[in-house]
Amino acid sequence: MPAFSLPLLLEAFLLLTVLAGFLGLLLRRNLFLKLLAMDVMSTGVIGFFVLLAARRGLYTPILETLPDRTADAAYADPIPQAVILTAIVIGFSTQALMLVAISQLSRREPTLQVGAMEEISTE
Amino acid sequence: MTTPAIIWLVLPFLMAFTGALLPGIETTLALIVAIATVLAGLFGAMAAEPLSLQLVGPYGIALLMDRFVAPFLLLNGLVTAAVLLDRRSRPRAGTFVLVLLVLHGGVNSALVCQDLISLYVALEVVGLASFLLIVGPQSAKSLWIGLRYLLVGNTAMLLFLIGTAQVYRSSGSFRLIDLAGASSTAMALILVGLLTKAGLFVSGLWLPRTHAESPAEVSAMLSGVVVTAGACPLVRATTLVEPLAPLVLGIGLASACFGVGLALIETDAKRMLAWSTLSQMGLAVLVPAVAGFYALSHGLAKASLFLLSRHFPSRRLEIWTQNPLPLQVWFPLQLAALSIAGCPLLVGFLAKESLLKQLPGPSGLLVTSLAVGTAAVYARLWGWPLLGQRDQGSSDQGSSDQGSKAPGWRASGGVLLLSLALLLAVGLGPAGPSWEGFLLVAPGAASLKALAILAAGWLLHQLLQTVRPLLKMPNLERLDDLLGGLAVVGTALIVIMVR
Repeated sequence: MPAFSLPLLLEAFLLLTVLAGFLGLLLRRNLFLKLLAMDVMSTGVIGFFVLLAARRGLYTPILETLPDRTADAAYADPIPQAVILTAIVIGFSTQALMLVAISQLSRREPTLQVGAMEEISTE
Repeated sequence: MTTPAIIWLVLPFLMAFTGALLPGIETTLALIVAIATVLAGLFGAMAAEPLSLQLVGPYGIALLMDRFVAPFLLLNGLVTAAVLLDRRSRPRAGTFVLVLLVLHGGVNSALVCQDLISLYVALEVVGLASFLLIVGPQSAKSLWIGLRYLLVGNTAMLLFLIGTAQVYRSSGSFRLIDLAGASSTAMALILVGLLTKAGLFVSGLWLPRTHAESPAEVSAMLSGVVVTAGACPLVRATTLVEPLAPLVLGIGLASACFGVGLALIETDAKRMLAWSTLSQMGLAVLVPAVAGFYALSHGLAKASLFLLSRHFPSRRLEIWTQNPLPLQVWFPLQLAALSIAGCPLLVGFLAKESLLKQLPGPSGLLVTSLAVGTAAVYARLWGWPLLGQRDQGSSDQGSSDQGSKAPGWRASGGVLLLSLALLLAVGLGPAGPSWEGFLLVAPGAASLKALAILAAGWLLHQLLQTVRPLLKMPNLERLDDLLGGLAVVGTALIVIMVR
């Protein structure tokens, strides 16, 4: 019954997380909440990569000693893990920058409503 | 050749750190970097065979330098140098040059890399550096514009990452070429990321306000170079993946029509230039063989126009004719405007002609009629009167915006470089295989046609003068519209690809 297998279910949940994040980004009026929604979205993406890495196994892909049974040990795939580590760092720094920008903007518009921000840019 | 190539790629970042430690020499260091990139571009254009690198093992970083990417590199080097020269004559403040170096390095990496993860990292570096340049003035407006740019760009790149994960699942690698075997959803998601970064069609709606509200030199960099960091990999992907080509052709044409239409009814000078970027990038992605040359000719002219926008007496187009311009602003302005409009003997004309040569039937006709629209857009700049020696004195009281008018020749060092490049690029000839045949045709029929297009553009411009006040721009540039646009483009692409 592949349709109900655990990985597929997890994948569906993760994509739903991304979707929920995107909807939050779209529908929330407050800039800070929009940013949090984007964080939810990136959490979903990170989870997606972790799930991808775990397709073949769950063992941490670090060889402490050289075991004889390397071949059949169910190691996780290190490539997506390494890749998503980079993406986490980038996402983290982007979020930090955006928070700085938002805290600067809050001096001008303490409510952080998007509508008020749009007015700043058209004046 | 591996070592020089790696040194060249790392150099901008090294120089940025050195510049931070040794303030005072950073402009010189940055100029060295820009020259190195120009040299790398020339090397790529002339090298007999492409330089292909695979660093850190089979899953590592794939780089490719060939004739396709060479014009993009030239463009990056030239525009960066021009921005630096332009900057030199004005008061230095803050970390502008350092961030510019990082941006330059990010664009270089995005242009040459051949795997999706390096591309992701490079595009994020480009996005972050652009954000820092946009918020340079630190006003509430620039912060909001920058934040918008970062939010939209980052969301698009998250979608790109999901697509990348799916490519890895189906092929076990991140190379760009493995996009061919990926599912249509993966391709659609990756396209959304690249289209947003390239500023094409609906996913490029963030572009006009961002480019128009940034400081002049930042707009020049964004509009001339940064958009190519998305467009170049996009075009590269179409050469590797068959089914993408017609799709990107359609999106490019749609973007070109859309951009020209909105540029024609726009009343703000910088926004008009930005809408025109949207349309010109659309034309640039149509045919892979011409993409680099087209982007080069557009980028040089557009960067020059944006650098000159500092000297515009006002951003409102309707009152321009009341303010004559001095020759040193007027001449490069007309040169760049004529080049983009496709005036014979200028590089924009060569780009447009080589593009038309490669386009079959109906899309060729559409591009020709779009050229009339582009000519009409730039016809609005042609009417600008030249400031004669006699009225030099009287104009000083006439203009309302004094601060930006003072510097003359000194300030236009960067513009001078770009104008020179525009004139010289005609002789460069990296246009690809069609070049030799093209030179034979150029003096005759094609020139006449181009002149006819310019005349038709002028007529259209005169016609629109009367109608324009009646036309109203739809406001599609609120943050929610931009994010909604991403969703719409993503869904539409998935639907089209799955069918």
